[in-house]
Amino acid sequence: MKKSCLLFVLCIIAGTLTSRAQWSVGLEAGYNKNYLFTNSGFRAFTEYKPVEGFNIGIPVKYTLNNWLGIQADPQFICKSNRVERSDFFAGVYQKNTNSYIQLPLMAHFTFGGQKLKGFFNVGGYAAYWTASHIKGTQLNIFPPPNDLPGNSQYKGIMDIFPGYSYDQKYDFDSRKDRRIELGVLAGAGVSYQLKPRYELFAEGRYYRALTDQQKNYMLNQIPRYNDTFVIQLGCMYHLGK
Amino acid sequence: MKTTCHFIYKYIFQIVLGISIISVLVSCRKELPQINQPERYITGNFSEAFEAYWNGMNNNYIFWDIDPTNWDDVYKKYKPLFAQMNINDSTDVRKSYTYFKEMTSKLVDSHYALQITSKYVKDSAKYISPSTLRHSKEPGYHGIIDPNFFYFSIPPKYLDPGYVKGFVNVSDGSQFFAIAGKIKSNILYLHFNSFNLKQVYGSTTTNDAQKTLKYYFDQLKNTVGLKGIIIDVRSNGGGALADLDLLVGNLTDKPYSIGATRSKGGMGRLDYTPWIDAQVHPAKDAKAFTAPIVVLADLNSVSMAEMTTMALKALPTGNATFVGERTWGGNGPLLPNDDVYNGGQFKTGFMNLVYTSTLMLRYKDGKIYEGLGFPPDVEIKYNGAALDTGTDPQLEKAISLIPQ
Repeated sequence: MKKSCLLFVLCIIAGTLTSRAQWSVGLEAGYNKNYLFTNSGFRAFTEYKPVEGFNIGIPVKYTLNNWLGIQADPQFICKSNRVERSDFFAGVYQKNTNSYIQLPLMAHFTFGGQKLKGFFNVGGYAAYWTASHIKGTQLNIFPPPNDLPGNSQYKGIMDIFPGYSYDQKYDFDSRKDRRIELGVLAGAGVSYQLKPRYELFAEGRYYRALTDQQKNYMLNQIPRYNDTFVIQLGCMYHLGK
Repeated sequence: MKTTCHFIYKYIFQIVLGISIISVLVSCRKELPQINQPERYITGNFSEAFEAYWNGMNNNYIFWDIDPTNWDDVYKKYKPLFAQMNINDSTDVRKSYTYFKEMTSKLVDSHYALQITSKYVKDSAKYISPSTLRHSKEPGYHGIIDPNFFYFSIPPKYLDPGYVKGFVNVSDGSQFFAIAGKIKSNILYLHFNSFNLKQVYGSTTTNDAQKTLKYYFDQLKNTVGLKGIIIDVRSNGGGALADLDLLVGNLTDKPYSIGATRSKGGMGRLDYTPWIDAQVHPAKDAKAFTAPIVVLADLNSVSMAEMTTMALKALPTGNATFVGERTWGGNGPLLPNDDVYNGGQFKTGFMNLVYTSTLMLRYKDGKIYEGLGFPPDVEIKYNGAALDTGTDPQLEKAISLIPQ
């Protein structure tokens, strides 16, 4: 059954192939904002916040016909987040800068005129969490003596436990951290044929992780999924005739 | 527009198929569970009482990284058992006490204690302390050294005339006492039963305990030719962390690290903040004390008594020797409010208090001594028979280690 389905899909693709089929390769770079889909449980004055990042990739596209292509964008992308405390605990935070090597694979649909075209991408991706860097301030329970003068009051927790700042590499915990991420993506944008072989494009894309950042290592675990919104610019070079 | 409509009409099947696949895929995420604060559960039945406690531990306990207890297995085993019990049945309440004792028996946190509120549990059984149960089964286990031994036996036998001692009631309702004096005219000795030093030393009301501490610090600062110090934290149950800078900070002229602490960094069992340097800070005008320091500690030296032992051993001058027995093994710092560090002790409707450490301490050698105890350099076991005759072999060994 699986073989028949695969054969059927291949026949459809083969049927769409025309003399327009060609390879393109390019360069893209973008700005992103990553949201962590999770919650902080019953932790008081504690919130996960989105963090900006960037991505850079080498898109490779195989155009099947005048409206359909297949595209892969091997890329480096930051999917970061921040845990922050508020009110009396303000000042306590940790920014997690997470680096991924990612391979999105998508169907590329094109529509519109000869030079200015619209497109949208739909597909999936696999990513590997290569490194993580943590920067933040936590409470130091071994503080230097800090007695308040008489009649004064604490403005915040840092008056009691001075903050300890750090900026360091995160050591992955193989019991907890899931470093392979799989997900789906959708994007839309416009492209402009600058010269016969060069095409500029701008795209907004959404990556939705379907795998938790953590392994299933405990009951009642709160999952953490990346939701990444990307705005990117790039240029494609058409290979062949 | 016409072209677009034509396109949609032509490829309607592919479009519908694509949207369907995407819809299935995007809904593949797990749902976010609602996890409630243990204090918020209505303890109308044992099922709820168990859920509140289990979840509190699941999210607040600091030692999951090194603890041998499989907390998921605890849930699978005890959830059905609690579901069968009646919280208003005295037999079931007593049975629950046994279950709680079983499920916590291997918890590495040696501060850990459960206080059950139910009227059906005897007063003597309301307090479950896994580390006490474990220690009590070990060969050589002994209770604390009688405070009277420190207060009445040591001074006349071992201290030079002129020693000072005193006691005072402190803010938590307990009694603090201290003894200070000289041995052989050039060894300074200090014993105190709990870490309320800063509170007593800084008290605006003069008392004998305060005079004792003032004597110790004055002698430390002003005695010329001190050959050594003996700091005796045997059978000391701990207390305020702020005392570290007062007691040990008077023996150093520069800040130094004794190790590091970390707290919870999220709801997950293995969510931690990074290790944060744990430092001793020098007291005002303190000078580095370079003559030998002997710290006396025993099995019943807990918490701050252990941290002080570690801090003395970590002095940059390297002149401290630890004599006595391996300590209790409960050295994770502890705060009463679980919101400050997002972890640690909590309450439930059925538990008056789940008393547990807020942070994990790692000594400067990279080891975590929670549940293990800090080992002595020179082991001298507790000798009850000798103490009964007024002789203190541990103190005698300490004195012998300070050359005249």
